Amino acid sequence: MTYVEYKQLNPFQKFAYKFKTFFKNLPRAVGRFFKGIGKAIVKFFVAIARGFKNYGTTFVKGDWATKLSYIIFGVGDLHKGKIYKGLIFFAAEVLYILYMIFFGWQYISKFGTLGTVATTYVKKGISKVPVYGDNSMLILLYSVLTIVITIAVFAMYIANIKDAYKHQVMRENGKKPTSMIYDMREFLDGKYHITLLSFPVLMICVFNILPLIFMILIAFTNYDKAHMPPANLFTWVGFDNFAALFDIVNTPKKAHTFLSLTGWTLLWAVLATFTNYILGMIVALMINKKGIKLKALWRTLFVITIAVPQFVSLLLMNQMLATDGAVNVLLTEISHLFGNTTQIEIDFLGKSEVLARTTIVIVNCWVGIPYTILSMSGILMNIPADLYESATIDGASPFKTFTAITLPYMIFVTTPQLITSFVGNINNFNVIYLLSKGGPSTEEFYQAGKTDILVTWLFTLSMTSQDYGLAAAIGILVFIVCATISLIIYNNSKSMKDEEAFS
Amino acid sequence: MKKILAILLAAMMTATAFAGCGEGGSGSGSGSGSGDNSGSDTSSSDSTADDDSADALVDETGYWVDPSAFGEENNITLKVWAPDKAVSLVKEQIDAFQKHYSDITFKSIDVVAQGEGDAATQLLNDPETAADVFSFASDQLNKLVNAGVISEVAFLNTVSGANDPKTVEAGTVDGALYAYPETNDNGYYLVYDNTVVTADQAKTLEGVLEACKAAGKKFIFDCGNGYYSCTFAFTAGVEIDGLETVGDEQKQKFTDYDPDKAVETLMAFSALMKQYKGTWTSLDVAKIASGFTTATLGAGVDGSWNTVPDQEALGDKFGAAKLPTINVNGEDKQLKSMFGYKYIGVNGSSKFPNAAQILALYLAGEECQTQRAANLGWGPSNLKSQQDKAVTDSAVLKAIQEQSANACAQVNIADTFWSPMGNLGTKLFADDTDPTDKAYFTKLLEETIKNIRDEA
Repeated sequence: MTYVEYKQLNPFQKFAYKFKTFFKNLPRAVGRFFKGIGKAIVKFFVAIARGFKNYGTTFVKGDWATKLSYIIFGVGDLHKGKIYKGLIFFAAEVLYILYMIFFGWQYISKFGTLGTVATTYVKKGISKVPVYGDNSMLILLYSVLTIVITIAVFAMYIANIKDAYKHQVMRENGKKPTSMIYDMREFLDGKYHITLLSFPVLMICVFNILPLIFMILIAFTNYDKAHMPPANLFTWVGFDNFAALFDIVNTPKKAHTFLSLTGWTLLWAVLATFTNYILGMIVALMINKKGIKLKALWRTLFVITIAVPQFVSLLLMNQMLATDGAVNVLLTEISHLFGNTTQIEIDFLGKSEVLARTTIVIVNCWVGIPYTILSMSGILMNIPADLYESATIDGASPFKTFTAITLPYMIFVTTPQLITSFVGNINNFNVIYLLSKGGPSTEEFYQAGKTDILVTWLFTLSMTSQDYGLAAAIGILVFIVCATISLIIYNNSKSMKDEEAFS
Repeated sequence: MKKILAILLAAMMTATAFAGCGEGGSGSGSGSGSGDNSGSDTSSSDSTADDDSADALVDETGYWVDPSAFGEENNITLKVWAPDKAVSLVKEQIDAFQKHYSDITFKSIDVVAQGEGDAATQLLNDPETAADVFSFASDQLNKLVNAGVISEVAFLNTVSGANDPKTVEAGTVDGALYAYPETNDNGYYLVYDNTVVTADQAKTLEGVLEACKAAGKKFIFDCGNGYYSCTFAFTAGVEIDGLETVGDEQKQKFTDYDPDKAVETLMAFSALMKQYKGTWTSLDVAKIASGFTTATLGAGVDGSWNTVPDQEALGDKFGAAKLPTINVNGEDKQLKSMFGYKYIGVNGSSKFPNAAQILALYLAGEECQTQRAANLGWGPSNLKSQQDKAVTDSAVLKAIQEQSANACAQVNIADTFWSPMGNLGTKLFADDTDPTDKAYFTKLLEETIKNIRDEA
């Protein structure tokens, strides 16, 4: 279709055309995505190969001190007069060896089995006390720590070799290595970013990355209530936990629960995101319309709902929607006006699947729309007024200005926000758990109710049934879903492809 | 200026690294607010020779021991976990304990408030820093024994002789007694307004409902909570019978039952709910006291821990009884409930295991139980304390004692028990359930049991 043809279509046809092209392009976009991953992997291996090559050639070209650096850290630097750096490298090696002897080795050596020594009980005085054997959890945790430390030391090892060779070359060219003071000054100037970021990066590794690796590994173990440390051991089970979620033949109930909940999770995320987005946009447009009086008042009124903490609103809503709650009392009172004598007791959250899901989506609007209004108002005020002026001069209708100026502008600016709120809704624990606790209950699901999403199910599995392995597997799957969707949408969005538009 | 800004940004990045470090939520699970397991399948009679040596050191009171039992322990430091309400009383009791054993040096005995409902969870988090002696509800026993963090009771014969056999049986796992019984009162019973329901009417469920309906009042029984709704299954003959090991998993075992009769009982319950629709309401037990206050409630099935607010709400009109009977095809069946106990346990990683055992023996002994019955209204498990005036005079404790004879012990219960049971109750109560549809109830019961046993 040519540009002219496209321009002659009516808005619905245009929409249909765009819709069609999106799906036509989708396979190509997905393909591009995986091709990108493939390229990255190739690059990675090429880099490793180059590393090995350099490792070899440096050894051949190096003098005796550089060669000795391959076994003893820092010798090359010490020999070339870069004393402080050589000492740091040497100290790292010594500390690492001490760490492995006194701490790391006892755990990492059992990493393959996660422990084999069982707990026994002995008599001590009048009481019988347990003598604990291996603790699988500590073995797993400290093994991860040891692996991370080993990788760090390996990086230091490579740096030590490179440094040794660099200084050897400098000496051969008749230059002297820089002094310690000079290097320190460098850290406040040319390498200032390293000074600043090393501490945060270290903290992120310790507090975010390490636990993350630990949790991911748990998904491949049978850590559950029957294998609770310290008295019991758990061990590797490969992909059994993932298999349980997909195996319709052997674990039909878990698989059915997982697949149904995944469906509802995605439906929920779409509904929650777009109801908030569209309704919030409409309210923001109404407030920002020319001629509306007391704009500040209306905006403030909506912002006040943000001032009440979200969980408080949700718990209150939960009470109000109970069979004897405020909503039912109100409905009863109203129905009395029309001659009804019985009490109305609608169980909004506990009985019908459709009613409970609808109620949750509506309540979510209550807590979510004010945020959309806030950001939308800001964006609306930012649209250059001259665009509207020219549109008016050209005789465009208000609807036309909306579809041609306002909407494209807003979607352009808010696509990244839409993605984050979509992912946020996939993991929207608060709304579901505080409102319905996953109910209405059902005998069709394993430890889940009709409104449970994957994260609330994960919570029940880990907190109530202590199925840590299964819960970790679900966590990984949720991550994969979120990451895939976010990457594909973001890479196809206008904000990504055409950053310069509207600026 | 730019550098200062950069420093600030870096500091913020560090701060976000800690964002996930908060204390994890301490979910209490879907069951009750109280504990859940009491061992039921083994008796505690057989004792080994070396257990006798510890029992021989106990004097005639049943809670003081010969100081030689401390062994070589001296300069003792202990930590005790007790529920918030009991902390001050436990402190007094510990003072008496230290006074009695004046030959032994106690560096310190700390009492820390810790709810019995999640004592096990807290203990499992880090046994090394947890309390040496702790109170917990019977449902957690299985968890503690599985994880091997609780020590066996050293004074086996003394403790099993002095306490209600049911509490001892419930504290026994695989033939070994793991905990000192502390109370025998963790259950629910019928509370009623005696101007609405007469003592005679309170004997049958039909009577209670009829009386409430006639007076235009409600009857509260929480059908959606597995802790209460398991009554339907138990009354139907589907009773829990400990755990069994299948493969490497522990599964809930049930007694043999006649599926036909069980389904009929469930249908009878459902039919009653339909017949008294509007009277029988399924609400949280927290609504019972407020219902009595506003005089909209005629009766309810409430937990022993809510006795004080119920009594305050009703005043002279307060009535208490064991759970009523239900008529199934002309036969009156007694409602069977879930009944738990509280225990005192000794941490397996205690640095002073002997002192901890001796303290636990004292805290769970006659003197302390009688004091708690008088001051806190806790129903004692000690046989002598049960004869105390504070206990025999209490209508509530009497109702609870009677109900405990018609109950399944809250021990050795799988974690997967509660929510399917809650669902069973919800489905019996649901408006769109047809109480005459036998096939539906048969399937519901089957699915519920399958879910509890994780056989899917």
